[in-house]
Amino acid sequence: MRATVTAERANRSTDRLVLHGVHHTARPTWKLRETIEFYRDILGLPLVHTICARGWGPEGHPDFLHFFFDSGNGSTIAFFYYIGTERPEVLAPFQSWFYRATHTAWRVETREELLNWKEKLEQRGVPVRQTRHEIIDSIYITDPNGYPLEITWQVRDMNQADATDAALTLEAALQIEDEARKNGGALRDIDSVWRRKAKLVDAYVAGR
Amino acid sequence: MVALYVLKVPEFMALAEVAGRNPKCSVRDTGRGYIRIESKEDIVFSRKELGFKPAIWYGALTGGFDGKIAEFGRDSLRLTNA
Repeated sequence: MRATVTAERANRSTDRLVLHGVHHTARPTWKLRETIEFYRDILGLPLVHTICARGWGPEGHPDFLHFFFDSGNGSTIAFFYYIGTERPEVLAPFQSWFYRATHTAWRVETREELLNWKEKLEQRGVPVRQTRHEIIDSIYITDPNGYPLEITWQVRDMNQADATDAALTLEAALQIEDEARKNGGALRDIDSVWRRKAKLVDAYVAGR
Repeated sequence: MVALYVLKVPEFMALAEVAGRNPKCSVRDTGRGYIRIESKEDIVFSRKELGFKPAIWYGALTGGFDGKIAEFGRDSLRLTNA
């Protein structure tokens, strides 16, 4: 009885949990000055917090600086500078979409703002690439550490049609991948996903 | 029969508009967020005519299709019977 009541209470308090946006994302740096100058002076993000401490916790943890730049709307981008250490080779940036897939994208509210950022960054000597995607228009830059960054303007709000379509796309991909794995294979191309998706959309529009 | 679905959002609507001007294609609003384009013959799209940037062009079939992709190059997409 008691266990049941406790479980019910737990369910009530966890049913509608939501997140409220980004507080911080963090990454290591071995370029203290270049990082501060890039984020504070070139991008112009206010430095809002720094932790400086003796290494603690796990044995061998180096002394460190942990500093935060304001990236708007309550979010920050943060860095760890582990004093007296060298970057492990495994963390060296490499030229690949695999590497660039891990990135931070900051939001701007208008296309004009996006273009103003592009102009500002180019004036300050930062190479900028711009790409228009389905619902976002983005500019891409790389920080002194080699970390990819994006500033993006979302052209329109996402709606229920987007969410339904997203679910159908991924369901198609999961079905094809599951079937392929059963036969010792793998998902190999997008064409098979698109074909399966048409069948799922057939059913969806028919109300099945 | 060759067919594709187009999600009814602004960035993909040019597919339905261009197909709608093609007498070989039938274009039907399913009423559930997708437009269905069908043809008994090949369906061909030109990126230039659609006005698609590359990132949208290469996702043009995201709504799903029946048939076979005979060509999907930088500027031309041809769907044919499987």
